[in-house]
Amino acid sequence: MKLDRKNFLATTGAAAAGAAIGFPAIVGAAPEPIRLGLIPCLTGSNALLGQQEHEGATLAVEEINARPDKVYGGRPFEIVEEDATNDNQSAVAALNKLLGENIVAVVCPVLSTQVQAMAPVMKTHEIPWMTGGTAVKNTQLGVPGMFRLRASDGITAAGMTNFAVKDKKGKKVAIMHASDAFGTGGADQIVQNLEKLGMKPVANEQYPKDAKDFTAEILKVKQSGADVLLMYIQNPSDTAIILKQIKSLGLTIPVIGSPSLANQTAMEVAGKDAYGTFAAVDFIVGFNSNVATHFLTSFFRKYHHLPDVGTGSGWVYDSMYMLADVYKKQKGTDPKATIASLKGVKNWNGVLGTFSADAEGNMVHSVSIGQNQDGKLRLVKKVSG
Amino acid sequence: MHLDPVANMQLLVSGLAIGSIYALVALGFVLIYNAVGVVNFAQGEFVMFPSYIAVTFLLPATAVFGTLVHWQLPVLVVYALVLVLMVGFGLLFNRIAYHPLRDRGWLPVVISTIGVSIFLRNAAQLTWGSQPIVMPSLFTVDTIAVGPLHIRPQDLLIIGVTAVLIAFQYFLFERTTLGKQMRATAQDRTTARLIGIRVGRIVAITFVYSALLGTISGLLVAPLFTVTKEMGGLIALKAFAASIVGGFGSIPGAIAGGLAIGVIETFGGFYISSSYVDAIAFIILIGVLLFKPSGLFGERVAEKA
Repeated sequence: MKLDRKNFLATTGAAAAGAAIGFPAIVGAAPEPIRLGLIPCLTGSNALLGQQEHEGATLAVEEINARPDKVYGGRPFEIVEEDATNDNQSAVAALNKLLGENIVAVVCPVLSTQVQAMAPVMKTHEIPWMTGGTAVKNTQLGVPGMFRLRASDGITAAGMTNFAVKDKKGKKVAIMHASDAFGTGGADQIVQNLEKLGMKPVANEQYPKDAKDFTAEILKVKQSGADVLLMYIQNPSDTAIILKQIKSLGLTIPVIGSPSLANQTAMEVAGKDAYGTFAAVDFIVGFNSNVATHFLTSFFRKYHHLPDVGTGSGWVYDSMYMLADVYKKQKGTDPKATIASLKGVKNWNGVLGTFSADAEGNMVHSVSIGQNQDGKLRLVKKVSG
Repeated sequence: MHLDPVANMQLLVSGLAIGSIYALVALGFVLIYNAVGVVNFAQGEFVMFPSYIAVTFLLPATAVFGTLVHWQLPVLVVYALVLVLMVGFGLLFNRIAYHPLRDRGWLPVVISTIGVSIFLRNAAQLTWGSQPIVMPSLFTVDTIAVGPLHIRPQDLLIIGVTAVLIAFQYFLFERTTLGKQMRATAQDRTTARLIGIRVGRIVAITFVYSALLGTISGLLVAPLFTVTKEMGGLIALKAFAASIVGGFGSIPGAIAGGLAIGVIETFGGFYISSSYVDAIAFIILIGVLLFKPSGLFGERVAEKA
């Protein structure tokens, strides 16, 4: 057939009409997907965390959809994603947009400050909210259906403080932390734990968001005569720069950090400057289950880099699998029923360990203290909350 | 807190180093403002973008659009290459962001520079990802011990390069025809055009020079700060404050303002509170605006009119 303009229009018009008639029948036959909301910080200064969250969710959904034993009623998972960017207003706007998308559960941003900003909206919707934000307050906001899939700052800070005082024999403890909700919340927890031990920090230095020079803070720690430094920081780039400057300013006391000190990015960026440091972490490569080994292998195969398991991808991956198991078990996706099922989770095995829900919705109740030995994180001890 | 001379020296060196970077970026602000009468809000990206280009060519492996590239060229070759590329970038910026809007008042141009800033940040994220990248230092040691002082060679390099650039700038503006043409264009573009100066060309050169100042700042701080798409943002904000403190439009003012903010915020962080480092810079800014609105080195408004 000669393909002139007339023929082309006639052919494409006929094809379009055919598709319009036939397509709804095909769509009607396909099972309706289970739509899950995801709000990572895809742009802005925490985009690295958001990217990891996105990658963890995408990997989990691809795997789940390929496994008939995990897919409830033949209905595949579908991610509906909105960018939380780097500020609270954008996170709330993203959430509001998602809530109009017929979703049955939401995986929240990892930043506690955004979770807390979203809380007033979350309170008005009874659906499961899966969070990796570790601020203690996150599960005390009165949001029905809030579940935390990582150890809270209370557990992490207690682990760090006890390790500093009891294991490293620290008599003068200094704290350095970021000025966001994560940093200030964690530092408060450390102060409370020190008080329980009859101590006060000799220095408690907070640095402003996006700071790049930490000379003043490090010199104050040095001048305080501290014999151990506890760092509560989320941003891996900040962590790496601080470790570099600690070394260059000749501060040689033991450094014990929150999970980001030992995440993959911070360890790679800080390099030798992070050797010898300790961190309270959700996850240590080589000391976890078959689930974790499978996750690490699949993640590396798909993305060609290792995941930041605790702070980045692991808890999101676990969230997706936990929801899949719950839907399958309860034979439905009703959000209220899902909340009830999640409250009953006990000894569920995921990448980050064994999950059991408590009354507040906390699922993880222990952390590990690891040490960076020549670029590899080695388990020192397990700490329970 | 007691006065510790060693800590004070340490703070002074760090303050001067970060202040030097503020000064270089502030100079970029001032030069463009003088030449075309607008604030370039993409000045921070003039620091960030060349740093990414430099690490791409410097490191054994860098992920570009998710694909690993392996250039690993010698440092001096990379620095020269980045400077050449940024000359082109400055010309392109002038041609795309400023030139088409030059006769429509200052607001469209300012919005255009904000647009370029957002574009470059997102382009950097799409090209190089969100992972911070470490730029190798020129020095094999991180610190030099001078008595009880721990001094970073990179800090000394920053201070030294800034001093050389300030001297060069003085020579350029005071002793060369090009510099005099740039000054004439800054003072009165119409008269400059009437006496035969090719104003369009001088403006383009100003954008190129400003881009090069940003590039040098980026190459100097990247080994200390890591390369991220956000690295230029806060530096530009402080540099903007520095140029206002010094007197917007004043070259000596930009230098003095940059150094003053760097030193005062570092000492303030130590002696007052590190929580208020940013607040200190902006309290200085508000104080200057209240008590000497023309800035430390600025002309009085009546004189300029």
